[in-house]
Amino acid sequence: MIRIEGLKKSFGELAAIDDVSFEVRDGEVFGLLGPNGAGKSTTINTISGVLQPDGGRVLVDGRDIWLEPKAVKCTLGVVPQEISVYDDLTARDNLSFWGSLYGLRGAELKARIDESLERVGLTQRAGDTVRTFSGGMKRRLNLCMGLLHRPKFLLLDEPTVGIDPQARLTILDVIREVASAGTTVLYTTHYMEEAERLCDRIAIIDHGRILAIGTLSELIRRAGEAEVLRVRGDFTDDSLRERLHRLSGIRVLRAEEDAAVLSIDTDGPGLMKVLPDVLALEVDDVAIQRPSLEGVFIALTGRELRD
Amino acid sequence: MAIGALICRDLNRYRRNPGRTALLFALPLVMSGLFALVFGGGGGGDVSIRVLLWDEDDSLLTILAEGAAGRSGEAARLDVIPVGSEGPDMMENGEASALLHIPAGFTDAYLKGEPATLGVLKNPAERFLPKLVDEGIHLGAGVLSVGSRMFRPELEQIDAMRRTDGFPSDPAVAALSTGITSRLSELEGTLFPPLIGLETPEPDQHLDAEDDESSATRSVLALFLPGFAVMGVLFIAQSATRDILRDRETGLLRHLLTAPVSPVEVLLAKCLTVILVCAVGFIVLIGVGAVVGLSWGPPTPVAVLVAATSVAASGTLLLIMSLVGTERQGDALTTIVIIVWSLLGGVFMPLSQMPAFVKPLSSTTLTFWAIDACNTLILDDGSLNEIRLNLAVLFGVGTLFLLAGAGILGRRIRRGGV
Repeated sequence: MIRIEGLKKSFGELAAIDDVSFEVRDGEVFGLLGPNGAGKSTTINTISGVLQPDGGRVLVDGRDIWLEPKAVKCTLGVVPQEISVYDDLTARDNLSFWGSLYGLRGAELKARIDESLERVGLTQRAGDTVRTFSGGMKRRLNLCMGLLHRPKFLLLDEPTVGIDPQARLTILDVIREVASAGTTVLYTTHYMEEAERLCDRIAIIDHGRILAIGTLSELIRRAGEAEVLRVRGDFTDDSLRERLHRLSGIRVLRAEEDAAVLSIDTDGPGLMKVLPDVLALEVDDVAIQRPSLEGVFIALTGRELRD
Repeated sequence: MAIGALICRDLNRYRRNPGRTALLFALPLVMSGLFALVFGGGGGGDVSIRVLLWDEDDSLLTILAEGAAGRSGEAARLDVIPVGSEGPDMMENGEASALLHIPAGFTDAYLKGEPATLGVLKNPAERFLPKLVDEGIHLGAGVLSVGSRMFRPELEQIDAMRRTDGFPSDPAVAALSTGITSRLSELEGTLFPPLIGLETPEPDQHLDAEDDESSATRSVLALFLPGFAVMGVLFIAQSATRDILRDRETGLLRHLLTAPVSPVEVLLAKCLTVILVCAVGFIVLIGVGAVVGLSWGPPTPVAVLVAATSVAASGTLLLIMSLVGTERQGDALTTIVIIVWSLLGGVFMPLSQMPAFVKPLSSTTLTFWAIDACNTLILDDGSLNEIRLNLAVLFGVGTLFLLAGAGILGRRIRRGGV
């Protein structure tokens, strides 16, 4: 199990993560969901022992990574957000070097390399220098490097950013495969659908703070989330805004000049009762969004993930 | 174990990048190669000066010039080719460095003591060789002019003999001989002994003929090659340490630190690789010197000097790289330091030729200590003991810089500056 306790890290005046605490249970896929700049990478870098935290601690199977760095790092496989492979080496060279850092040698190393390359479909390109690879192939190789030593914990920092759909599917399949084999996975992403499909539990992070943790259904329930109404209209008129806020059974998450986002109270009269009141405001358009992670995120932060 | 893997990775990267590796050694090799070609052998044999002699006077000078051409000089060989009126056309075609024209009546005028003119046509396509011919002919004309005035009576006798049909009489020849001997006796007190002597040290007796020919080459190489070798090692260190910044910028260093390897191991491995590459580079340059006949001195001091210079170069470059933020900044700053150190340290100009105010600054550069040690070994056949101060400075300052650079980088890594 990975336990994060009160983790803090600042860069100058900017608090990248502030009092972050959560735990990743053995065998689960744990998602860290948040927009760019939310603190996901800083959290991963701190957990993996690259960044020394200003406060708090990281325990991996009860061992502090800053007290026993080598022992802990041997149990971690890290796939960073940047494509971190040596362009001037071949795929096999990269894996051979990476495996040797984890003490793999000889026939065992070769077997692991062959197995890893096969798994991500790069066997045919094993002897080619990486600079000839596409972005997706490099990502797959990066994933290989994280899996080569069969880590107990796999930390993935947005591993599908900027790649083609096919490579993305391959990567997600491999992650499901290793997770089903018992590897504990910590997965950061800003893609809602990836978190929904892949993760057993999800922590929502924004501005360096954890806003909520739980399974998808727990988050929806805990956020008091039922449906979200996206309303388009002229909200420059103060009286219209006032009427909007006076409606019962809804919560105004956000109101801008030409749009508003409303959350239907789960303990209120319900969507069917509230909807006619909203339409009576002479708005241009109303869209109903079923309960989802995005709805949870909006409910928690008042803004969409892509903001 | 991790250090070994890291060093293997770096060496593997050099192996997989033959072009980049070749470039790494290119600068010092090209510089050394150029010096070897310019000052060393292997340039296609002796320099030959080709001179056309167009003698319309059928004079004695032709015989004298051909005789002079038969004596090969040490630096250049004179090929005198008698030609006729086609000479100017041959010069137009650039077939010789110069054409010496002796006009008809030159000998008559000379023997009578009348003004006479020699013509010289130089090849404008060549720079130095025609100049040499021009200077030589000026010198010869001066000698002829002085001889004409000193031996005026004897020359008039010779002129009279020429005009007489058949062989001159025995008394006339005897009178001419006596006159020349008498004139030389008169001049002996004026000409000899010379007031100014020219002393040219002979090469060591144990050197064979081949050594004699290459001794000049060695002396020039000994003057410049150590400097270029040291500067080359600095450029090699620059290229090798650049990887640190590149890996930092691309996230490779950050990823590497997620593996069970500490920042100290990463930096130590990088330092060892850079030292190794520098040492190989230095050895290659020593080899280039050896190929063109330069002896670097006893092997043990040379080996220790190679190690010391490599440590110094690696430490210097690592420290600079640790202080800058980006690869571009690193390139700019290290290039400035290398060029300034090379200028001050005596790479481009021997220290003895530098302005007085520069000399104290030289000793503040590691290039000075390395080049000075090279010179001690090459020129004085020095021992380990004679370069101990140089070695101490290079090892000491180099190690200090290495530790400082590694410390700064390690601190930046831990604080998140990777």
